Amino acid sequence: MMKNKNKNPFFFLRRFFTISRLFLIPAFIFLMIFVFYPIVATVYTSFISNTTGNFVGLENYNSVLFHGVYPLINGPNILQGVTPLGGLVNNFIWIGIHLPVVVFSGMFLAVLLRDVKGGTIIKSIVFLGVVIPLVVGGVLFRFILDKDAGVVNAFLSLIGLGGITRTWYAFADTALLSIILGSIWIWTGFGMIVYSAGLQGIPVELYEAAEIDGASRWKTFWRITVPMLRSTSIVVVTMTVLWELKIFDIVYVVTRGGPGGASDVLAYRMYNIGIFGGNYAAGSAIAVLLTLMTIGFAAYMVSRMSKP
Amino acid sequence: MSNRLSGISKTLVAIVLIIIIVVAGVAVYVYYASTPQQTNLTVYALWQGTEEDNFKQALGNFTENTGIEVTYFGRTTEDLLVSVPQQLANPPYDVDVIIAPWPYWIKDNSPYLTAVTDVITESDFPANIISPVKTDGTIWAAPFKLSGKPGFWFRDSFFQNNGLSVPTTYEELVATLLPAIQAVPGIEQPIASGDTDGWPLSDTTEGFIMGLGGYQLQLDLETGPSARNWTDPQVRNVFANLTGILEAGYFSTPADWEAQIAKLWSGQYGLYWQGSFITTLPEVQDVNDLDFFPFPGTTGVAGSVDYAVITKEAPHPDEARQLVQYLAGADAQEIMVKQGGFLATNVNVPNSAYTTIDSKVVAFMSQPGITIVPDLDDTIGGQWQTTFWDQLKLLWTSPSDSTMNSVLNALQTAAIEQQGT
Repeated sequence: MMKNKNKNPFFFLRRFFTISRLFLIPAFIFLMIFVFYPIVATVYTSFISNTTGNFVGLENYNSVLFHGVYPLINGPNILQGVTPLGGLVNNFIWIGIHLPVVVFSGMFLAVLLRDVKGGTIIKSIVFLGVVIPLVVGGVLFRFILDKDAGVVNAFLSLIGLGGITRTWYAFADTALLSIILGSIWIWTGFGMIVYSAGLQGIPVELYEAAEIDGASRWKTFWRITVPMLRSTSIVVVTMTVLWELKIFDIVYVVTRGGPGGASDVLAYRMYNIGIFGGNYAAGSAIAVLLTLMTIGFAAYMVSRMSKP
Repeated sequence: MSNRLSGISKTLVAIVLIIIIVVAGVAVYVYYASTPQQTNLTVYALWQGTEEDNFKQALGNFTENTGIEVTYFGRTTEDLLVSVPQQLANPPYDVDVIIAPWPYWIKDNSPYLTAVTDVITESDFPANIISPVKTDGTIWAAPFKLSGKPGFWFRDSFFQNNGLSVPTTYEELVATLLPAIQAVPGIEQPIASGDTDGWPLSDTTEGFIMGLGGYQLQLDLETGPSARNWTDPQVRNVFANLTGILEAGYFSTPADWEAQIAKLWSGQYGLYWQGSFITTLPEVQDVNDLDFFPFPGTTGVAGSVDYAVITKEAPHPDEARQLVQYLAGADAQEIMVKQGGFLATNVNVPNSAYTTIDSKVVAFMSQPGITIVPDLDDTIGGQWQTTFWDQLKLLWTSPSDSTMNSVLNALQTAAIEQQGT
C-alpha cells in the first residue's frame, strides 16, 4: 500500500509543498507581526483623528503638508506661519543640491583614483564618511562649523575672511545649506566606491580602440566611461535619493530642524510631531507619504535599469 | 533482540529524564515558595551620572530604613514619551514608580496613575508646583526635586576687576551694565546663550516674561490661549524688550550650553542665565567665585520640578506609596540637596542642608514677593515645546520686529493647536 502511494508523483509534490509551507509558517508569522501589521496600522492611523479615533479622511495629510507652524526658510512674511508641503520642500532642496554633487564627485573621484598609486588608501579615507554613523558625523560637523572651534571658520580667518565667520548651522539663512554640505562629505564615499566597482566592468578593449582612433581623454570619458556607467549611475542616484528622502540623524544632531524650521525635513517632522508631540496620526501620515515617495521613486528607477 | 533492547533503553532514558525534570522543577518551586521573597520596587527615571548617583543615595537610605529593595532603570526621553505610556495603558507591567519632569505628561497619563493626594501633605510644598499636577482636587504626582532658575550668573572676580555692580532696575541692566560689560577687553558678548535642546533660551525668555510681565503672565501663558494669547500686548512688550537687547548684540549666538560656562569662566562672556544646577558643573572651577542676581524687579522665579508618580497597576502598590512618601519627605530631600546643585520641594528641609550658594538661591526664591512658577515649556510640553525652542533660536539669530511678530504668531498657532482656545 505504502509502495503504491510513494509511486504516485502527486504524493511527492503534495508532500513537498506541505513541508515547505510548514517551514514558511514561522517566517510568515514574523512578517505578519513585524512588517504587515505595522504597515496596515500606520496607514489606518493616518486616516483617523489622533484624539477621537474617528475617520477623518485626508485631514492628517492636509495638516502636515499645509498647516505647519514654521516659516519657510525664514522666508518673506507672506509665507511665515505656513510651510508649503511641510518639510518636503527642504527635502527637495536637499536632493537638488546634494544629489548632483554626490553623483559627480563620486564619479570624478572614482575615475581620478582608478590608476593612481595609493588610490586605494585615498578611497578608504573618503569612504570613512560612509562608515561613520550619521549621528557621529553630525556631532563632528557641529564642531567643524562652530565659530570658535571649527576648521571652516579657521580657514576663512586664514584667508582674510574673518569678518564673515559664524556658527553656520545656527542661522536660518545658512542652516540647511550647512548640513547639506556636511552630508556631501559623509555620502560622497558611497558614490565613489560604487563607481569604482562599475569602472572595473568596462572592457579595456574599448579604451584601447579609442586610443588607436586618436580619441582624446575627455572624449573617451564622455563617449565610453559615462555611457558604460549608466547602470551604476542608476544605482547611485536611486540609493542617494532614498537616503536624502529619509534623512533624519544629521538634522536631529546638528539643527533639530531649526532655527525656525529652516532645516526641517519630513523624517524629522515625523519624529517631532509623532514622538514629541504625541500626534501619532499626523506622524503616520508623514510616514505613509515618505513610504509612497520612496517606493514610487525606487520602482521608477528599477524600471529604468531594466531598459536597454 | 538488540533492537528491542535499544527500544527499551530509549524509553528508560526518556522516563528518567522526565523524572529528573519533574523533580528539579518541584525542588525549585518548593525552594522559592519556602524562601520569603523580598519586595523589589522598579523605578524609571531620566537621570544619568551625578543625578543618578544622588538619587541612588536617597534610594539606598530608603532600603536601609524599610528593607524594601529598589531597582533603578534609566530611561530616555523618547522612552518616557512613547513606550512607557503604551506600557501603562496595557498592564501588566513591572514599573511601580516613575520620575517625570513634565506636568503635561503626568496629566495626560493620569488615567493610568494612582493619585497621591493622601500620600503627601500638600501644605509641605509651594502651591504653584502642586497645581500643574492637580485636577479637580486630586494630586497625581509628588514633587521632590527642584531646579531654580534664579537669574544671571556671573563671576564675582569679573565684576570686581572691571568695577561692575549688580543692577537694581531693568534700565540699569540695559543702559549701564550690558554696555559696561561689552566694553571689557576680551568680551565677545555680555550674555552667553546656551543651546542643544533649546531649553536654555526658554529659561532666559521665562526670566524676561516674569521680570517684565510678572509671574502671573507666565502662569497665564502656561494655562494657554484661554487665559492669555501669545499675541497679547503684554507678551508683545516683553518680546519687544528682548528683541531690542538681541538686536543690540548683547546676547551671544546660541552654542552648547555647557561649553558656554567655560567661556563665562574664561571671561568671554560676563553673564549667563542658567539653572541652580550650574554650581555643580565641572566647568565652574571655583564655586566661591560664582554668584547670581535676579532679573531686576522680578516677581517670579521659574522652577523645574521632578515629580514621582505611582503607576495604577503597580506590582507593589503599598511599597510604592511608601517610596513616594519618602521621596516627598524632608529626610530624603535633605540627603539629596546636600550633594548640591538642586533644591528641595519640601519646605521643611532646613536651610543648613544646603551648600552656601544653593542656600543663597533658596533664600531668594523663598523671599516675600517672589512666587515660584513651574517651568513654562515643561508645563505645556508636547509639540509646542519644540516649537518654542525652535522659534526662540530663530529670534536669537535673526532678531527684528518682523521675526518677533512671526515668532509670536507661530507660538500662538502652536498653542491653539495643542491647548485649544
